[in-house]
Amino acid sequence: MIKIQDVCFGYNEGQDVLQGLTLEFDQRTTAIIGQNGAGKTTLVKLLKGLLKPTGGDIWVAGVNSKDVTVAQLAGKIGLVFQNPNDQIFKRTVLEEVMFGPLNMKVETAAAKQQALQALEMVGLADQTDVNPHDLGLSEKKLISIASIVAMNTDIIILDEPTIAQDAAGKRRIAQIIEQLSQEGKLVMTILHDMDFVAAHFERTIVMNRGKVVLDDKTREVFSHQDLLREACLDTPYVTQLGKQWGLPETVLTTEELISAMKRPR
Amino acid sequence: MKSMSLYVERESTVHHIDPITKLVYIAAAIALPIILPSLHTAWICMLISFVILGMGRVLTRSLPIIGFVGFILLTVVIIQGFFHVGNETVLFRLGSWPFYEEGLLFAMGITFRALNIVGAFLILVLTTKPSDLVESLVRKGLSPRIGYVLSSVFQIIPQMMATVDTITDAQRSRGMETEGKLMTRIKAFLPLIGPVVLSSLIDTKERTLALQVRGFNVKGSKTFLNEEKMYRYGSAMRWSMLAIVIGAVIWRVIA
Ligand SMILES: Nc1ncnc2c1ncn2[C@@H]1O[C@H](COP(=O)(O)OP(=O)(O)OP(=O)(O)O)[C@@H](O)[C@H]1O
Ligand SMILES: [Mg+2]
Repeated sequence: MIKIQDVCFGYNEGQDVLQGLTLEFDQRTTAIIGQNGAGKTTLVKLLKGLLKPTGGDIWVAGVNSKDVTVAQLAGKIGLVFQNPNDQIFKRTVLEEVMFGPLNMKVETAAAKQQALQALEMVGLADQTDVNPHDLGLSEKKLISIASIVAMNTDIIILDEPTIAQDAAGKRRIAQIIEQLSQEGKLVMTILHDMDFVAAHFERTIVMNRGKVVLDDKTREVFSHQDLLREACLDTPYVTQLGKQWGLPETVLTTEELISAMKRPR
Repeated sequence: MKSMSLYVERESTVHHIDPITKLVYIAAAIALPIILPSLHTAWICMLISFVILGMGRVLTRSLPIIGFVGFILLTVVIIQGFFHVGNETVLFRLGSWPFYEEGLLFAMGITFRALNIVGAFLILVLTTKPSDLVESLVRKGLSPRIGYVLSSVFQIIPQMMATVDTITDAQRSRGMETEGKLMTRIKAFLPLIGPVVLSSLIDTKERTLALQVRGFNVKGSKTFLNEEKMYRYGSAMRWSMLAIVIGAVIWRVIA
């Protein structure tokens, strides 16, 4: 659904933030991890078309991102910004969530329907008339997720959706990701929470200093403890626990760990 | 982050000169051509300003602005050349329209003076960090509050530009066309005004709070984080400029 070839990008001349990335994305739920400043946000802004590569090409749903405007691409790919304050600009929650569908030329009634459904999904259906700026960060983040979900794009990218969320919020976001994926959408998510990655994503891409250092099934990725450490990343706690228990395989969830530990040795 | 001002970071003598001296230069550059209203003073002053811009290695940066002002002044030249009241000597004819020397000279005087003033301000703006300027003024006795307002003014336009970029990204990300034809851009820009003003106000409120919790309102004299920017020949320069201006006044009176 997305293909990128030798993509380079720098904000300032002579300082490449991304150095020749080649990747392909399919329907699998995909996590992108990497230390602060690794270039994750920059990568997804390029995919979204907000930034144009200084070298290489990006195809989203068969279209080269250089040939279209961001608005033309908006029906195909949705991006939830890292900072919800950068994304929210309308005066009520409902207006904010309806903004996307209305731009997609959806009828007002249908747009409202889509918006309400998306708000239902994030659990904010009772806040439609509130000014988003009066809400807390976690709620703003959920609103920005809802306003992208409401656009019903085939590709949805979430930039650190779990920041500021409590356990219930994280469970909710996990559900949303699962549901979108079941609808056949590509869900790509930038995360710093390794336990969350281990529990919910099929594929994981590890970035370090503008390069992809690992790209594989999540289980495979978390078995490379050394490479992850080089990229300043930890493995999930259950995985570490399993390793120290002496398990030969890499476990990703508590259930897996328990059943492996119960196994006669 | 977009740069917060027009200031261009370069290594040059002009950059090392303190802001107050540059302010004095602006005053002198405006005053001299008024005191000595000959065409020669005008073009010499203009040339000096441009040479200083060149020494500060910001001449290329100032060309667009000088060019823009020059373009507007061109209309003055055209209008005066054809229609100046004292027009007598015909320079050339455009069809049946005579173009006069007196008008041309008059307009040149205006042009040189205006470009001189623009150049003098550009020296200050392009080679001085706004914060340095404000700090020097506060050191010279300006109230810190007014200093803060001044530096806010220096920052607010670039900051608004940054906010416009942010909101534009939010809009086009969700399918609103903001690129392409002028009409599309204007249509996209109008709904921006509300959110941009709002977000600037929120920023201001937050900054006020940040300043207050850090004791901005405390009475008494304040210390400064930065070394005072002193240029070795600064005061010599200021005195000589004053001397030149006084000299010009005397010249004007006796000559
Ligand atoms: N607008 C910008 N202008 C200049 N440099 C930038 C800009 N945005 C990001 N950078 C720089 O580019 C590099 C990559 O930033 P990016 O935001 O992509 O990192 P990230 O992986 O998303 O980090 P984080 O986990 O902190 O969100 C960093 O060194 C950052 O300082
Ligand atoms: Mg980021």
